[in-house]
Formats: sequence, C-alpha cells, structure tokens
Amino acid sequence: MSSKAHSSNNIANARRTVQQLRIEASIERIKVSKACADLMSYCSEHARSDPLLMGIPASDNPFKDKKPCTIL
Amino acid sequence: MFYLDFLIVILCFKPFRCRSLPAQRKYMRSPLIPEMATQEVQLNETLAHLKTESETLKSKLEEERAKLHDVELHQVAEKVEGLGQFVMKTRRTLKGHGNKVLCMDWCKDKRRIVSSSQDGKVIVWDAFTTNKEHAVTMPCTWVMACAYAPSGCAVACGGLDNKCSVYPLSLDKNENLAAKKKSVAMHTNYLSACSFTNSDMQILTSSGDGTCALWDVESGQLLQSFHGHAADVLCLDLAPSETGNTFVSGGCDKKANVWDMRSGQCIQSFETHESDINSVRYYPSGDAFASGSDDATCRLYDLRADREVAIYSKESIIFGVSSVDFSLSGRLLFGGYNDYTINVWDVLKGTRVSILFGHENRVSTLRVSPDGTAFSTGSWDHTLRVCDDCYFFIGIKYNQNLCTFNFTPCAPDKPPLSLTATHLPKYSNLKKHIYRST
Repeated sequence: MSSKAHSSNNIANARRTVQQLRIEASIERIKVSKACADLMSYCSEHARSDPLLMGIPASDNPFKDKKPCTIL
Repeated sequence: MFYLDFLIVILCFKPFRCRSLPAQRKYMRSPLIPEMATQEVQLNETLAHLKTESETLKSKLEEERAKLHDVELHQVAEKVEGLGQFVMKTRRTLKGHGNKVLCMDWCKDKRRIVSSSQDGKVIVWDAFTTNKEHAVTMPCTWVMACAYAPSGCAVACGGLDNKCSVYPLSLDKNENLAAKKKSVAMHTNYLSACSFTNSDMQILTSSGDGTCALWDVESGQLLQSFHGHAADVLCLDLAPSETGNTFVSGGCDKKANVWDMRSGQCIQSFETHESDINSVRYYPSGDAFASGSDDATCRLYDLRADREVAIYSKESIIFGVSSVDFSLSGRLLFGGYNDYTINVWDVLKGTRVSILFGHENRVSTLRVSPDGTAFSTGSWDHTLRVCDDCYFFIGIKYNQNLCTFNFTPCAPDKPPLSLTATHLPKYSNLKKHIYRST
C-alpha cells in the first residue's frame, strides 16, 4: 500500500514536471543576435550616466577621500 | 486531464504498448495481492510514459533554444570599444561587526547601508561618515539575509530562525528597535534571502526549504508561494519595476528559475551552472540576469532568447562566486569571490577589466549603490568596504632602461598619473604607489 502511495507521488511529480516542461517549451523566443544587439544598445545608451564606467568629478564624489591638509 | 493526454500519446505513437482499459478492469477483479501487483505495474508504466514524455520535451526545448543560437555575445560585441583596465580603490571601511558579514543592502538614499552578520547583529551604517546609526541583536545567529525598505524607514532580516522579521527604524537612537519587531515570514528552514517589493508592504523571501514566498508585511499573511526548486533556494532578485511582476531565484539544484509573482508559476528555467547558484541579479533593462556560482563562473542569461549568452570565467579563478551585481549601465559586472577578491567583468566582451584585493577573508556579499557611484562589499573578515574606481590604465612607455606606466583618472578633475620605474615593478608595489597619489 505504501509503495502504491509512493508510486502515485512519483507520478504526481512526473506530471508536474511534464506540465512545467510544456509551458517552458511553448514560450516565444527571439534570436540571440537580436537579444545581444539590444543588450549592447542599452549599454551604450546609459554608458554616459554610469559613474563607475565613466568616472565622476572628485568634487561630486561623495566617497572621495577626506585627506588632511598637507603643509608645503 | 493529463491522464487522458498521455493516453492519447500512447495510442497514437506507441501502439505496441497500448492496452485497453476494460481488459485491465476485468483482470483486477481477482484476489487482492495480484490486484495490487497489477496496479503497481500500471503505475510504473504510467511513470515510464511520463518520464519518456519529459525527456522528449526536454530535448525539444534544447532544440528550440539551439535553433535561435546564431551568435555569441562577445562576437556581436567585437565592434564595441574595449574598456581597458581599471584600478579600483577602497574608499571606506566599515568596522563593527563581531563576526562574518553575511549580507548587506543599500538604502535608496544612496548613503545608508544595512548589514547582517553571523554574530546575530544587524547594523545600519552611514557609508559617507562610517558611523553606525542603528544596531539590532537578533535572537538567532547566522543572519543570512537583510534588506532595506524602499522608504528607508525599516529593515528586514532573518536567517537560522527560519523567519523574516521587519524592524521599523526610529529616529530616536535610544529606542529599543527589538521591541517593535514584526515577524512576517515563516519558513520550515533557514531564510537565505529577502527583498521588499516596490513598497514597504510586501516582502519576497527564499529559503533552505526549497521555496520562495511573497508575504504581506502588515498581516504576516502568505500571499503566494513558489514551488519548483529541488533543493535550497539561495538567492533571489526582483525584476526592475518597469518590466513587470517577475523575479528570478537561484538554488542548490544548480537552477535559476524565473517566476510570475501573481500566479506563482515558474515561467523559465535555466540549468547550465555546474554547482550551487549563490547569487542572481537582473540586468538593468530587465531583459537578462547574471548569476554567480560555486563553479567559479558568472553567467549571463537572456530572458527573451531563453538561453545563456555569456560565461565570465578564467582558468586562474577556481574559487566560487558568492555575489554579483551590475553597474548602472549594465556594462560592468562585479563579482565577489571566495578567494577574497572582487573581479570586475566587461559584460559585453567577456573579459576581466579589474581585480580588487583588500578583504582578508571571503567576500560574501556585494551591491552597487542605487546611483551607481560606488559598490559595497561585505566579507567574512568582519568588515564592509565601499569602493569605486580611481584610474584607467592607459599603457606602458619604454625609454632606454626606464618604463613609465600611464594612468588617466576616472575623475575628470584630477590630474593624470605617470609612474616611472627602472624595471617592471611587482603589481602590488605599483598599486601602493597609485593609492598614495590619489
């Protein structure tokens, strides 16, 4: 009896897997070349406003070092 | 309904296995033990058919994905200008935790940070001044997850207590935060990650019990649960608000799953990593996400192409990645590694553009600040560091027996840097010179 319950559990899991795979197999996909082109255009559009990529003036940088004044 | 589906499959495609039901039923009227045996044979056959269909669907999925795989990302990116090498520098070190820092998050004000540690403490810092603003002691150790509320008025945290609790932050420093604690999420195993959604009202959690869940903060009610991972879920990230109600999760089953928050359905699944996925992060446009794994690689998956489009790895990097995050434009991918370093990758070209040393133990958590001016890392060495870039390396000029290293500053209002040496210095000595002059 317990092995039957075990088997029906396995079946339930297997059915869920099959159902999930059906959903995943049916989604619409685009070509990798198109997807990559979109990623690239996003990067170039936003590159100018990316402080870690372009750098920001030290005067605007909230994390610039607080250095003691040097006496020359 | 499903039973009927695969029955049709059998009848149409596997006639030699077909058995009509009425004949079965007649056989089943015999004594009990043979009846059970027959039913078991029946169940095993059902299982076998389901498994076959599952395998067929899996190979169909691979076929469909492969059909659209016409090019690699780095090939498309050949025409893009290269980035060169960056020199990064630690600007702030936050000291105060008594044990390993496990998780951190930035506040939307781009200034405050919440961090949680193995010693059970959750601390809110002002990253500009390095002052501690709040500290809470949790009733458990190993606080593996913490998150800042979008309003900046509360933090959520949890870990080995299997719960996610929300603490409202008070302006009164003397007030006992623990008194106002609100228990929101309840899992049956440790809490691995948590994140507020677009408001302070809902929290998304992931757990060692293999599930993710969406909770209402006020009532503590479970709004939606997400089942599908076959092992502990270690990380999650919400899609940028413009792209809709989805989130991605990564787990010990080496899978990264994309979920619909409203239906609880897993809509896409990716399984190319060779070990546990420790961190997932959406690309800023929401069309892709990156993952970091114990297999020492970071990978980029595009959601519309439904496949992995890039791997960020080097033969010399053999330690696992604990956390990943993108810079604001998505061009840079930061990875915190178990070999105590941070590697920065050019997302498009797949090359490494910087390596940052400094932590004295593994890097456990890493986040770029909301305005992209800096990134913060937390480590098992009990500290957090806030870093940004200070120089771009332009090149080396040789003149007789001298070599000159030229750097251009990332900050346009700083002067360029030239270091001259009579022989090629060790990289570590070179960096000491650079840091002294910034």
